[in-house]
Amino acid sequence: MTGLLDYQPGDSPLHKAHPLVKLLMAVSLCAGGFLAGALWINAAILAIIIIGGVLCGMARQVKSTLKGVGSLCVVLFILQLPFIKSGRVFVSLPLGMRITGDGLRFCAQLCLRLIGATLPLVILFGVTKLSDLTNTLVSQMGIPYRFAFVLTTAIRFIPVLLGEMRDTIEAQTARGVELDLGVWRKVKLIPPLCVPLLVSCVQRMENNALAAELRGFYFRTRTSGYRRYPLTAPDGAWITACALLLAVTVIM
Amino acid sequence: MIKLERVSFELGGRSIVNDVSFHMQPGAFAALAGGNGAGKSTLLKLIMGLYKPGGGAISIDGTPTAGKKVSALAKTAGFLFQNPDRQIFGSTVREELGFGLEQLGVSAQETAIRVDETIALLGLDASLAPMSLSRGERQRLALAGLFARRPKILLLDEPTTGLDYRECMQMMNSVAALNHAEGTTVLMVTHDMEIALDFAPRLLVLADGRLTGDGETRVVMRDEELLRRASLMPAQMVALSARLGIAAGVADDWESMAEWVSRKRAGRGETEL
Repeated sequence: MTGLLDYQPGDSPLHKAHPLVKLLMAVSLCAGGFLAGALWINAAILAIIIIGGVLCGMARQVKSTLKGVGSLCVVLFILQLPFIKSGRVFVSLPLGMRITGDGLRFCAQLCLRLIGATLPLVILFGVTKLSDLTNTLVSQMGIPYRFAFVLTTAIRFIPVLLGEMRDTIEAQTARGVELDLGVWRKVKLIPPLCVPLLVSCVQRMENNALAAELRGFYFRTRTSGYRRYPLTAPDGAWITACALLLAVTVIM
Repeated sequence: MIKLERVSFELGGRSIVNDVSFHMQPGAFAALAGGNGAGKSTLLKLIMGLYKPGGGAISIDGTPTAGKKVSALAKTAGFLFQNPDRQIFGSTVREELGFGLEQLGVSAQETAIRVDETIALLGLDASLAPMSLSRGERQRLALAGLFARRPKILLLDEPTTGLDYRECMQMMNSVAALNHAEGTTVLMVTHDMEIALDFAPRLLVLADGRLTGDGETRVVMRDEELLRRASLMPAQMVALSARLGIAAGVADDWESMAEWVSRKRAGRGETEL
């Protein structure tokens, strides 16, 4: 089973698109969400992202991202809502807090923007091999290999670190650690949870760095990659769609 | 007593453990063997309550583990992970050993006594920093952390992985000492059939999440087809004994094999081995 940020093999038009075009699409959708002034545009962008993700065979990843980010959005919505005082007042709350039309609109847009900024990245990494992304960043964007490698390795490390964290929690709970206790007890549990994680991260980083160096990491240049990534007609269509999306969000 | 009744577990729609039933009496020592991905570690985590079974029931000392917190089960059972570094964080061996006891609410005085006993029993240096120890010593420290808590049950997930012969023997002798001296029930996941033969009187074999073999280690190891299906090889002496047509249990270790050969040679009038 593939993880949230793992590559999901497929044959969809998005899978076939040029890696940089896919990056451009993800950035355009994120930027579009933040540029959009109207709530319906944010909703439309989110709908496009969800449909796109499902069509790429990433329904499970989309669902779990919506579930994860959705929980955060609910918290943000509740925390933010009573403090926006402008607009038509629907409910007055104690301590001068109130629920207003502007507050509802602002909080809804905040949530849509947050989800709209996260999902495209999840889909991008699901439909793009990180090695392809690194290669194109180096060969076509001119980014030095070591920076592109650091970027993609950092992304690749997220699920690994989540797994390490899960294993560390399992190891400590098996020793009798209770995680659902008060704040003070939780503070005291930081060393047992963080020290093993830090140690394993440092060990892993050292091992990976040594392995990369032994495999000629510093000899790699812009022209070292043997694979070529030509732009095709569908890539042109995707770029046009991105430009249109950004234009619509700015104009409306 | 550990009792598993028709335990099943799925992860991501894939069956990992399938309809597994067995029980272990207090003080028993069993090895759980099988190929990679057979579900051995998952089964151990199910017993420890780290995973919840999708079907069936697990009970420890007659009490079902369902709905129990892992921290509550940790009072009865101790789990030794393959990688000791996942749990070690203390600045000294003493601090590391005391942590588990503190979690269980043991008084400071009692903690000091138990830590001293554990250090003496397992021959550890209390003042050393855990991260300065060798891999084998860290694994023994993790075991000591469990022992200090005096659990009735020890669940060991490949405790000898990555250890050299000396460290491996130190580790297993420590486990055997706990089993004999304290009557601790031991269930140990291992790939090493020599270790299983030397230390575990009972062998459970897992293949594709199913329990395909369960019995006396020397007898189970004679079943070549069962071991082959579980991607296992018998211990060398058992394989040799079987090849020579010797009945199970007669010459399955070095000493009994040497005796058997001596007897044979004496029968033929030969005096030297």
